[in-house]
Amino acid sequence: MIIDEIVIFLQQTPPFQFLQEQEQRSIAANLSLEFYPKDTVILRQGGSSSDSLRIIKKGGVKISISSESGEDVAIDYRGEGETFGMVSLMGDKQKTTITAIEDTICYLMGKQEFMRLVDTSPVFIEYFLQSHFTKYINKTYTEMRNKSLFYGSSDHILFTTQVGEIAEKDVVTVLEDATIQEAARLMSTRRISSVVVIQDDGVPVGILTDRDLRDKVVSIGRNLKEPVRDIMSPPLIRVDARDYCFEAVLKMLKYNIHHVLVIRDGRLSGVITNHDLMLLQGKSPLSFAKDIENQHTVEGLIPVSRKINNIIGFLLKEGAKASNITKIITELNDRLVRKIIEIGEKQFGQSPLSYCWISFGSEGRKEKTFRTDQDNAIIYANPQTEQQAAAAAQYFEKLTGFVIDSLIKCGFPPCPAGYMASNPEWTQPLNTWKKYFSDWVAAPTAEAVLKSLIFFDFRPIYGDFGLADELKDALRMQLSRQKLLLGHLANMIVKNTSPVGFLKSFVVEKSGEHKNQLNLKIKGVTLIVDIVRLFALERGIKETSTLERIEALRDKHTIMKEYADELEHAFEFIMLLRMHNQLAQLESGEEINNFMNPNRLSNLEKKTMKDAFHLISKIQDLIIQRYKPFII
Amino acid sequence: MSRFAKRADRDTRLLSEADFTIVDTELTGLDEKRDTIVSIGAVRMNGSRINIKDTFYRLANPRAELKRESILVHGITPSDIQQKPDAKTVLEEFCRYCGDSVIVGHFICIDMEFINNELKAAGMQTMKNRTIDTFAIYEWIKKRITDHACFELMPNSNALYEISKCFDIPISGAHNSEMDAFITAQLFQRFMPLFEEFGIRTVDELLAISDLSIRGGDKFCKATETSNF
Repeated sequence: MIIDEIVIFLQQTPPFQFLQEQEQRSIAANLSLEFYPKDTVILRQGGSSSDSLRIIKKGGVKISISSESGEDVAIDYRGEGETFGMVSLMGDKQKTTITAIEDTICYLMGKQEFMRLVDTSPVFIEYFLQSHFTKYINKTYTEMRNKSLFYGSSDHILFTTQVGEIAEKDVVTVLEDATIQEAARLMSTRRISSVVVIQDDGVPVGILTDRDLRDKVVSIGRNLKEPVRDIMSPPLIRVDARDYCFEAVLKMLKYNIHHVLVIRDGRLSGVITNHDLMLLQGKSPLSFAKDIENQHTVEGLIPVSRKINNIIGFLLKEGAKASNITKIITELNDRLVRKIIEIGEKQFGQSPLSYCWISFGSEGRKEKTFRTDQDNAIIYANPQTEQQAAAAAQYFEKLTGFVIDSLIKCGFPPCPAGYMASNPEWTQPLNTWKKYFSDWVAAPTAEAVLKSLIFFDFRPIYGDFGLADELKDALRMQLSRQKLLLGHLANMIVKNTSPVGFLKSFVVEKSGEHKNQLNLKIKGVTLIVDIVRLFALERGIKETSTLERIEALRDKHTIMKEYADELEHAFEFIMLLRMHNQLAQLESGEEINNFMNPNRLSNLEKKTMKDAFHLISKIQDLIIQRYKPFII
Repeated sequence: MSRFAKRADRDTRLLSEADFTIVDTELTGLDEKRDTIVSIGAVRMNGSRINIKDTFYRLANPRAELKRESILVHGITPSDIQQKPDAKTVLEEFCRYCGDSVIVGHFICIDMEFINNELKAAGMQTMKNRTIDTFAIYEWIKKRITDHACFELMPNSNALYEISKCFDIPISGAHNSEMDAFITAQLFQRFMPLFEEFGIRTVDELLAISDLSIRGGDKFCKATETSNF
């Protein structure tokens, strides 16, 4: 009976929770229990090594090392469900001092038992010796999803079904030289909405769909004897049969198509259609995209836009990763913005100068989740004459006013700091933008640093993307010559937090004013975003999304070579946690914010969270070394 | 009652190095003439460490009939014990398990009285282990400490669960002798750091305060005055 209680505890405690129950029982039967009143020194630096691994049942401990000057420096805090004394178990001398910071109860696992588990249980040693993220992140996600209140009847089909499972069947093909009529007859006898067009050698070169027949043949009265080559839809968009259906959805959204080729081992093995996906699950992100496309007025877009918020809950329930969700939300929001601009252009006529609508901030990074403020601007081509300049100013005043108002109607609140295209300061010709950027880079005042954080994540949404590219290139040139701004950014990153002090409150603060005070944004998301932005700017990486930047930096940046995977997992994890938390707030009618009660986390989530913070502080240290002269 | 502790040889072992056996029994009732033992639960402590591996729990087929009210308290029914060995067999094992460790319990004199009665009835030697009463110790400490929350909250309670709750010890598996021994062990474990504060370092020194406290209030050893059987 004593053992039953311990087994229940072990089942909530990594890595023991991953073991078989039989193993858990045998571990439980071999533990002992100790009590340490607050301030007890449990293990002392330089003292003899510990005889057991200690698992904290209740309370918390501080791990500290004495510096040469005899000063006691806290390096970590451990709380319920965490362990300590593992390193000491392996060595001959205790390397740190461990002190109870409140009344603490520990289970003790003897050295022999620990060694037995190390030998017999791979999952056990992995947990202690390998990077936590790569191994445990999926388990953490599973736990998070299972815990979610919104985990209902849905079986997260989109993220668990491989494309091949629903779309791999006989592929109906037609040679590229076949006539339109032959192809249409084939489609109608086989009752299918598409055929894959292949060359003589069987290599697919395009796809012919109902839509092609309607748009390119029937509506314009094209000759039915022409070869299908002339009307098929290239380029071919493919997914791997092993990809999850979600990937197919994303590609359909992105390329505005309804058919995607399925490839297995380099060979065509099927076609997946939006119909397949709709059948698979009742409510699809695809249907929202379609809804947006079908609207021609802002009034029509309002109800559709409101629905986009709901899709986050649906996707969380489906078990989507944070990056999957933000990808879909970005895609849908981008479409909405484009649609509104198109409606505006219809109303006010074509622009006198080519222009590019850009987003920045979280929207620029494709990391928007629940509705956040608008962050947008316009870059337009440099006017050649005074009249052109005047006409442009007049035109953009009308257009931007309309777009911003429409976005507000659709539920995107205005930016309180006025970083919006309707503010004339942020609707400017390319040369002015270059000047803005070079001024910030050359003289990084506090205000310039703040603006560069916001604007340097800009991304083109609509119009002439070439303008945005040119501005990006200019920025890269400026940064390669002037490092001062990067130094300021580095300084700001390392000043953001004192992770150890924060970990302490995270581990043990159960009441008082710091309860509920885990700020997932400032202490998590923002730090990683800032770090990755700094590295991207160092290397002139064009990508703006944090995950894409990490990917691009993987082979180009010494720090990222080592930490890309871990940083990616940490970012995904904190983002997802934040979304689940915000959804819970939304559903319970609370105000959406970035604060989370750490007590709501499971032991495994806490561990993952702490590892994320440790990772961040490790990278902060590396940044300090790199930017020593700039750090003040 | 102090006869269990009155021994010629002194025990100067440090508390941190002594072995303790924390004991609880369940009885058919509280009449020492008629009632007998239904179960014995015990947990071992090596110094301040509770050793989960080394626990003891046995059901015995009692000579006396299980009373209705006692069934309700400990949840052991006649059919649970029908196939169990008699008290003699269980006690033989128990004596072996205890060895010469110091026996600790809440109102331990009651448990020891029943145990020794059974041993006598079976024609065996009574146990001579030293005993420490956690309630006696609690009373002793209470007089000397006032800043611990529990001493303000519960000045007059003698019940194990009430006292344990004040020390933030989780109570579950109520009235099972193994769990109660475990709870008592945790209570004793909470006392350990306090002993150090008062300069009590050896087993002898601790026995002295346990006995002293009992002599000052022999009434605690009347079985009928406690509810915790």
